[in-house]
Amino acid sequence: METPREAPLEEVARLRLCLNNLVSVVALPALWTDKAPQQIASMLCDALLGMLNLAFVLVRLNASDGGGPVEIMRVSEVLKTESEIRSVLARSLDDSAPLQWPARARVSTRDADLYVATARLDVNGEMGIIAAGSERADFPDMTERLLLDVATNQAAVGLQQAYVLVEQRGMARTLEDHIAQGTRELAATNEELKKSERNLKLIIDTIPAFVWCMLPDGSNEFISKGWHEHTGVSPQESGGWGWMSVIHPDDLPGLMKTWRDLLRSGEPDETEARIRRHDGIYRWFLIRAEPFRDESGNITRWYGTSTDIEDRKRAEEALESRSQDLKLIIDTIPTLSWSTDATGSVEFLSRPWLDFTGLSAEEALGFGWSVAIHPDDGPGLLQYWQAALNSGDRFDVEARIRRFDGVYRWFLFRANPLRDETGTIIKWYGTNIDIEDRKRAEEELRRNDAFLAKAQRLSATGSFSWSVDTNEIIFSEEAYWIFGLDRATPLTLERIASRVHPDDLQLFAARTEAARSTGEGLDYEFRLQMPDGSVKYLHTTSNETRGVNGRREYIGAIQDVTQRWLAQEALNRARSDLAHVTRVTSLNALTASIAHEVNQPLSGIITNAGTCLRMLDADPPNILGARETARRTIRDGNRASEVVARLRALFSRGEFTPERMDLNEATREVIALSLNDLQRNRVSVQTDLGDDVPLINGDRIQLQQVILNLLRNAADAMSDVQDRPRRMLLRTGCEENGNVRLTVQDAGVGLDRSNVEKIFDSFYTTKSRGMGIGLSVSRSIIERHHGRIWAEPNNGPGTTFCFSIPRDAEAHS
Amino acid sequence: MTRPRPLLSVVDDDESVRESLPDLLHEFGYTARAFSSPEEFLASDALNQSKCLILDIAMPGMSGLDLQRELKRQGKKISIIFITASRNEAVRLKVLGEGAAECLYKPFSDTALLTAIQSAIGKPA
Repeated sequence: METPREAPLEEVARLRLCLNNLVSVVALPALWTDKAPQQIASMLCDALLGMLNLAFVLVRLNASDGGGPVEIMRVSEVLKTESEIRSVLARSLDDSAPLQWPARARVSTRDADLYVATARLDVNGEMGIIAAGSERADFPDMTERLLLDVATNQAAVGLQQAYVLVEQRGMARTLEDHIAQGTRELAATNEELKKSERNLKLIIDTIPAFVWCMLPDGSNEFISKGWHEHTGVSPQESGGWGWMSVIHPDDLPGLMKTWRDLLRSGEPDETEARIRRHDGIYRWFLIRAEPFRDESGNITRWYGTSTDIEDRKRAEEALESRSQDLKLIIDTIPTLSWSTDATGSVEFLSRPWLDFTGLSAEEALGFGWSVAIHPDDGPGLLQYWQAALNSGDRFDVEARIRRFDGVYRWFLFRANPLRDETGTIIKWYGTNIDIEDRKRAEEELRRNDAFLAKAQRLSATGSFSWSVDTNEIIFSEEAYWIFGLDRATPLTLERIASRVHPDDLQLFAARTEAARSTGEGLDYEFRLQMPDGSVKYLHTTSNETRGVNGRREYIGAIQDVTQRWLAQEALNRARSDLAHVTRVTSLNALTASIAHEVNQPLSGIITNAGTCLRMLDADPPNILGARETARRTIRDGNRASEVVARLRALFSRGEFTPERMDLNEATREVIALSLNDLQRNRVSVQTDLGDDVPLINGDRIQLQQVILNLLRNAADAMSDVQDRPRRMLLRTGCEENGNVRLTVQDAGVGLDRSNVEKIFDSFYTTKSRGMGIGLSVSRSIIERHHGRIWAEPNNGPGTTFCFSIPRDAEAHS
Repeated sequence: MTRPRPLLSVVDDDESVRESLPDLLHEFGYTARAFSSPEEFLASDALNQSKCLILDIAMPGMSGLDLQRELKRQGKKISIIFITASRNEAVRLKVLGEGAAECLYKPFSDTALLTAIQSAIGKPA
């Protein structure tokens, strides 16, 4: 803007400032030497902002390397924000910026209106642009425009130089890098080469194979060190054809043939041969040869390796031998075996299988084997087989296979799948085991079981076993039925005892305990009381055996003898009634006989006496006749007395035959004889036989009759006792006077004290059915032994009968 | 002329009876014959002549009861007085029921026998 009326002093000062500024601008490039373009731009901005008192200066450098433009900006302190100016400028600054000053524009910011001048850094604007802004509306004036122009040119030159410098430096650095890299690589390659050489040598000498080289004619040029060490043959010896000396004579012809073929064909090949070790041992080697050709394709060398395969060879042989063994086993063991693929198609059948069925492998492979399966079993078998194939579960089923002669036998089919690492089934291996005999045995067993069950049912006999140590009890079907117990609940002694009749529980427990502790056999009768109140009579017998593991076991039978018992009871009653009748009848007969025997002579006596009197009373008296009749009277009187003597003998029949005898032993015999009767009447017998009882002189049979009689009387006396144990106690002992005594104590109905004396009289009885002869006979026997027999009431219920006899009865007789 | 004495027959297996009883019957005024068994009596002429039979019950072979039935079968009306050593009322009632005149238990008194005979065949002449 021109101001003509400006004071000349001010004009001078302005010009002087302008000149100073120009000098500064011109000096700038000296500062920019070696500086980077951005540094140059920064220094330019700083200089212009200060010199021209501008609001802002901005330099945009277009990147020389194709990247985005870089802007360097300086802002005066007056303006608040750089970013606002940038955003405003972005709208007005573009490539269409004016070529040079004073192209200008006015831009408004929030704080002020700015007047902006813009110029290209170079002619094409390729390098970038520069923009400067002021708050003054006349910006840029003439001096400002001059200064900006000069500064812009200076900057363009400086920047140009800076760009060139940057490029030169980059090239130099790249070159240096390349050289350094090349040097390093060269060094590494050299090192690698050295290492490779060493390695190769090492490899050749250490690999477990011998390396060799042959000339095209087949003669040896080189063999690695190991070969010489192995064979003990020196390089001088092995050269040419010398190596052949270590080849096994049997393998040499084959090896030479292979070698000749190789030389002729020029193709790589391999063979096996035995090579002699330094110690004379031959080992198998795999010999491989490879031709080496020159550029024109001619074979110049044969390179090869010889690898020790002795161990592999051995392993192969072992494997071969094992698989031979296995085949032998499979074909020899009497089990039919086979294998199938994953689909169940048979791939292999063992020799025994083929021999058994008479089928050929061709006929039976795949699914051909199914013709040998019994028609009734075939569908089921195939169904199972298919199910196993589907599920992959182990296969286990029974079916009949037809033998070559047409006979079917039962077999157990078993198969297991073989899986690979992923679990997929790849094969099935199976066996068929002949179970015909087992099957028959099973059938037999089943039949026997059925027979046994039937027999047990019919005979109402159950069987049982009892393991003494473990208390394990096993019942047969019938035994369960007899006891009315449920199979589902485990058997225990307690459970069995719960069925035993309360009166027999003691007996049951005692016998069981005796068996447990002494191993004594069981043979006794007891009763059950069933839940419905009915009573069963059982007879059990069993003996101890030693089971497996030597364990004590009772095995035995339990028979339901209720029917038999009831029949026996009825029979006993009948027999007892009969015996009573017989006894009564025979007593009647005896009485009759006594009467007859006595009355006959009495009758004669009276008749004769009557006749005699009548003859004497006659007139005249018949003396002759009277005498005769009197004589007959006397005769008949004698006859009557003989009859009486004979009758007396009737009551003590038999001879009195004393012997040395043991009263305890005689008593035990009687108890043993009576035990069944006593048990039947549920009389328990206790004995207390004294150790001090001496031998006596007596009639053993007669004394035993007395003891038996006392036992029976005691049992009979307790037959109606229900409210207390029917207990009998037999005692023997020695009295102070040396007599031996036996007492039988019962718990029976007891004896009226007033009757005590009478009971030993003939025909006295307290029993409703008794004849009362037993005790009187007993008394006559004891009296013959010069002893005494008596009875006394107990303090409690019952009576005690006693007899006492001297030790030496004979001495008294 | 006196009337002939009626014939009484004794059948008993006991010899002392056969010895003693006929003598007593003679004293009573009868004729008497003794037989040791019913078979012997049946075979004799006394079968048709005897007015009365004094008969033991228990004998080997035919018993007294058998003879009683046989006589009834033959239509012989001979009065029978049984004598027995066995005191058995049932047997006694049985023979009486069959028509016997009397049944005496041995030993019996002479008067008991005489009364029985007299009531059976009346007094001898």
